Amino acid sequence: MNEYIIETQDLNFSYSKLTHDIENLNLQVPRGSIYGFLGPNGSGKTTTIRLLLGLLKKKSGTVTLFGNSLKNNRLTSLSKIAALIENPSLYNHLSGFDNLKIAARYRKVNQSRIEEVLEIVNLTYAKFKKVKKYSLGMKQRLGLAISLLSEPEILILDEPTNGLDPKGIIEMRSLIKSLNKEFGTTIFISSHLLSEIEKTCSHVGIIREGKMLFQNTVDALRESQNENMIIEVETSNSELLNRIISSFFDNTKIIDDSFINVTLNSKEEIPVLIDTIRKEEIAIYQVTIKNNLEELFLSLTEQ
Amino acid sequence: MKALYYLQMSIKNEILKLKNTFAFWLSIISALFIPAIFFLYYFLKYKSLIPASGVNPWEKFMVDQIMSAAPFLIPFFIILITSLIVQVEHKSSAMKYLFSLPVPKWSIYFGKLLVSIGLILFTYILFFLAMLMVGGIVGLIHEELNFLSYFPNYQKPLQLLFRSFIAVLGILGLQFLLSFRIKNFIVPLGIGMVLVITGLIVYKAKESLYFPYTYNMLSLLPIRNEETSIVLWFPKVSILSVFYFLIFSILGFLSIKRMNIK
Repeated sequence: MNEYIIETQDLNFSYSKLTHDIENLNLQVPRGSIYGFLGPNGSGKTTTIRLLLGLLKKKSGTVTLFGNSLKNNRLTSLSKIAALIENPSLYNHLSGFDNLKIAARYRKVNQSRIEEVLEIVNLTYAKFKKVKKYSLGMKQRLGLAISLLSEPEILILDEPTNGLDPKGIIEMRSLIKSLNKEFGTTIFISSHLLSEIEKTCSHVGIIREGKMLFQNTVDALRESQNENMIIEVETSNSELLNRIISSFFDNTKIIDDSFINVTLNSKEEIPVLIDTIRKEEIAIYQVTIKNNLEELFLSLTEQ
Repeated sequence: MKALYYLQMSIKNEILKLKNTFAFWLSIISALFIPAIFFLYYFLKYKSLIPASGVNPWEKFMVDQIMSAAPFLIPFFIILITSLIVQVEHKSSAMKYLFSLPVPKWSIYFGKLLVSIGLILFTYILFFLAMLMVGGIVGLIHEELNFLSYFPNYQKPLQLLFRSFIAVLGILGLQFLLSFRIKNFIVPLGIGMVLVITGLIVYKAKESLYFPYTYNMLSLLPIRNEETSIVLWFPKVSILSVFYFLIFSILGFLSIKRMNIK
């Protein structure tokens, strides 16, 4: 059996004759992974998802799901996939329960499963309320409940934390992780936020203008950056601080009056840096390790 | 057998989706609209409406109502109701959801189409029952209208309603296709309106036999010789209407099958 549960080969697609919206995309999602599909807005993430589901007709290339081509096994493949694309497709004029009932019927799922998924997403209390009256977060959760009805092998989530409050985001993250761990569900998440992917995913693919720039495990992404780490220090006078420490650390950069960036070779140098500053009795208000992945993501996606 | 299962499931879901929709209420309001007006008419102006003795008043009462609805109201209702039923999906951005479900695409298209036809048939039946009821009520209030002295001679009205129902299937097929393809509610509605008005202008021309938007009129008004026979349940326009319906439905399905869902 193929180790990749989702695979595309030289996938090409364009909305019009003049554009190349997806160019020679080779996507490889290992079975049982949480795959983060990362890219700035408009880079082709949603388009790729639509191609995976057969909603758009590809120009060339292949889409393989569960080791079979999508074209020949559409219904079988789709029965094992659930997707939440952009804003969830909900019938606002119906109750949450009726929405689930419709989905359960389409997917040949027993009606008793409805109560279970309502419980999972914490919506039992609002099941007979019209979706019109739901908050954005509740709608997102109902959309997720619909996706969970059929206990899919692949769960595709397009920007799942959009519109959720911080509590909702944390709940979503832990739900994704537990689904992956307990049921072995392969989860494909698209996002434009690196921090989101970093916190939940095991694998990452970075896309820009329809082209795959990087694809590997998240750990490999971390290792691929150089060993140096950038430390940001907030102080009372960055000019003064710069003069003092530039003799000890050769790579410093003044950001503004109070912030300065120092490049260190390892974590062990952080206390050394702080001791050096304190010896000169300059005030330190804050020392943070700059997220290097974020920088890497920016450098990869910006031209 | 599997196909039947998918179709049945799709129809059940489409019926559930009609709950609380304006489309459902519109089908009821439309059925009661003309009978309500005729109630007021017969209630207030009954003196001029008293039938000659020995005449069954029911046929005239019902045929008049059908004829008032025929030129504009019925085709407009068909256009509006199809747009509304399909709009439920566009409004919920549900197309992408429906077409990534493990069900065949045809079952979604034809399930919805059949439920639309069912809703329209429901309106026709309700219209017929409402006419009988209104006749009974005004008959109770003004005995001299003789509604209660005769058993309703419903055969001709029923036949006209049946012919009208078959005659609108052609435009239903086209409007359904347009509404399915075009997200913006106004576009199919506008196209339909323009074509209905065109139909009203040209229906007397011989060539209008090939223009489905005139069929509702043609099926009710015996304009040409072959149509005059009122005993016909299936005049030529009915056959053409069914033909157009089948063509547009098949075209519609082929077109949505290839559609890119954005």
